[in-house]
Amino acid sequence: MQDRILIIEDDAETAAAVAEVVAELGCEAHHRATLDDGIAEAGAGDYRVIVLDRMLPGGDGVAAMARIRTAGSRALILVLSALGRAAERVEGLEKGADDYLPKPFEPSELRARLRALLRRGTMQVLDNDLLAFGDLEIRMKARTVHVKRSHVPVSPKEFELITYFARNAGQIVTRMQLLENVWNLHFDPGTNVVDVHVGRLRRKLEEAGSPAIQTARGEGYIFAPLGAAG
Amino acid sequence: MSEAPLRARATLRLAAVMAAAVALLALLAMGLQYRLVETRLMQAQRTLLAADLDGLAALYDQRRIIALREAIAYRAAAPGGEMLVLLDRQGKVLAGTRADWPEGLVAQGQGFTIDPAQEVALDGARWLVVARDLPGGFPLLVGRSLAPVDATLAALQRGMLGLLAALLLAGAGVGWLAARWVMGRIGRLNALADRVAAGDLDARLTGPRSGDEFGLLETHVHAMLDRISNLNRATHRLSDTIAHEMRTPLNRMLQKLSRVEGQDDLAADLRAEMRQAIRVFDSLLDISRAEADQGQGGGLVPVDLSTVAQEVWELYEPLAEDKGLQVGLQVAPGVQVLGDRNLLAQMLANLLDNAIKYCSAGDRLELQLAAGDPALLRVIDTGPGLPDGLKDAAFDRFTRAERDRARGIQGHGLGLALVRAIALRHGARLSLPAVGQGLTVEIAFPRAPGEGGVAG
Repeated sequence: MQDRILIIEDDAETAAAVAEVVAELGCEAHHRATLDDGIAEAGAGDYRVIVLDRMLPGGDGVAAMARIRTAGSRALILVLSALGRAAERVEGLEKGADDYLPKPFEPSELRARLRALLRRGTMQVLDNDLLAFGDLEIRMKARTVHVKRSHVPVSPKEFELITYFARNAGQIVTRMQLLENVWNLHFDPGTNVVDVHVGRLRRKLEEAGSPAIQTARGEGYIFAPLGAAG
Repeated sequence: MSEAPLRARATLRLAAVMAAAVALLALLAMGLQYRLVETRLMQAQRTLLAADLDGLAALYDQRRIIALREAIAYRAAAPGGEMLVLLDRQGKVLAGTRADWPEGLVAQGQGFTIDPAQEVALDGARWLVVARDLPGGFPLLVGRSLAPVDATLAALQRGMLGLLAALLLAGAGVGWLAARWVMGRIGRLNALADRVAAGDLDARLTGPRSGDEFGLLETHVHAMLDRISNLNRATHRLSDTIAHEMRTPLNRMLQKLSRVEGQDDLAADLRAEMRQAIRVFDSLLDISRAEADQGQGGGLVPVDLSTVAQEVWELYEPLAEDKGLQVGLQVAPGVQVLGDRNLLAQMLANLLDNAIKYCSAGDRLELQLAAGDPALLRVIDTGPGLPDGLKDAAFDRFTRAERDRARGIQGHGLGLALVRAIALRHGARLSLPAVGQGLTVEIAFPRAPGEGGVAG
């Protein structure tokens, strides 16, 4: 069965762009243009993800998240808003959004984030101690990484980085996602700081014989330890 | 309150001038009175002397020298405030209240008239005397002591000096009281101005307002503050609206750009350019928001600055190492400040990013955080430092050194402006200590309230 994604957005063009990304992911897009319609629809249909604008006819999307929950929806919520400054993003996340993407956004960024949200609902294995991808093994409790049975020394940050990659294995992960989830920073530093960290981790893995991290040109990185990019 | 005497200088000066003026007027009035009393007392002594002379003249008319001699001898037996001396032709004392003729005193004229009289000092007292050479060669001296006059005048002087001192004291006291009162009234307004300058635009004076000029001043200041608050709110609304209205078209452009096919490099370049434009735009909005929120405690929570510093340092350290910088981190643990974690991280990121951008291989980059009140955060580098003349403007918006443009260093000149805005938002003081080489940025954070003692 196709996953259903609800788009609550008053700008038709943006809604169309989001719908296009949703279609690319193989999901079914439904669009509502006002907050009240959106909340009603969220309660009625079984949605996996809701893409929610903030400044909508009828009110602020972030303030309406509680109403969406009250309406009975258990969908994950991605706020997509022109109110994109760090403080507003943090506010949105604190008030219960599962992700927050500022406008203007690039379709690839939205795609990566929607994928991550769609996966989140299905992944339960992560609580296990061992994450194994062929000959690459990550032990959560011991916080160690092994490639072909040999230990790869990683810094604590690099360990968090590789676990985030592992959680989104096979998916494109953007630099912004890494900054937000690994470093908990909600601003765009505008330099290649993230690249340096990923580059170091990537070299360590490659020296141990695992080309697990690949660059997705112009979009971010992809963790594909088994060779096949999703 | 300890500063009040200094601040009240203008009022005190006014009070001092007024006290001096009152004292001067009083001095003039007392001087006049003194002259008047002196003249009157002298006249009284003169009248007494004239009466003595009249009496002696009557005796002389009856029996000449003999009568005078008897009368003087009689009066010398009970000496009072008078001086009488009568000599014979050889200068021998016939009768008198004293044993000799005062030295140097020259007899003038022959009659018993009061004029000419002379003032002489004898035995430490002043005397008003009339010296005459009576017909036949008998010098006569008649005098009245001026001691009562001098005593009265001296008493008067003492009284006046005391009064003057009392006046000066009272003037100073009244001046001090007036200064205190005015300072009390002005102090309210000053405290309000300080709170507003510190960023609390909604601060107002409470309590009843008097109907005097101070009350009027308070009313005017309140009206002015209301106007500023309204303008500030309007600016907030405007920047939010701009953010929204500009992002929507940019959004559409990005969507359409993703549909361009076959020109991936160009599309990527355009995307990067647009991201840069959005970043400039976000920075500007962040700066104005942080500046507008300056000094307002709202939205700030206790943040472990040590942890934030460590995290941001970890993010940037590899970048610095890759560039060949020598790096050092000295962060005291557990330094708490009232802040916004994300803003603080952004501030640190901008400072480190800036330092790394300008330093070249071999330079040193250090991040220090010292506990205490204030907690001191320092970003130290041994790079090229700031060009002369740019120190003051370095933290203004869109300030970029000419040499950066020449060297092709990328930037929009907003990084340090945002650093300053964020520092001010946290009530922190930003300074550039003079250093031998490179640039040191120092930010002094006030200690978080409720944190006991020095964090450590």
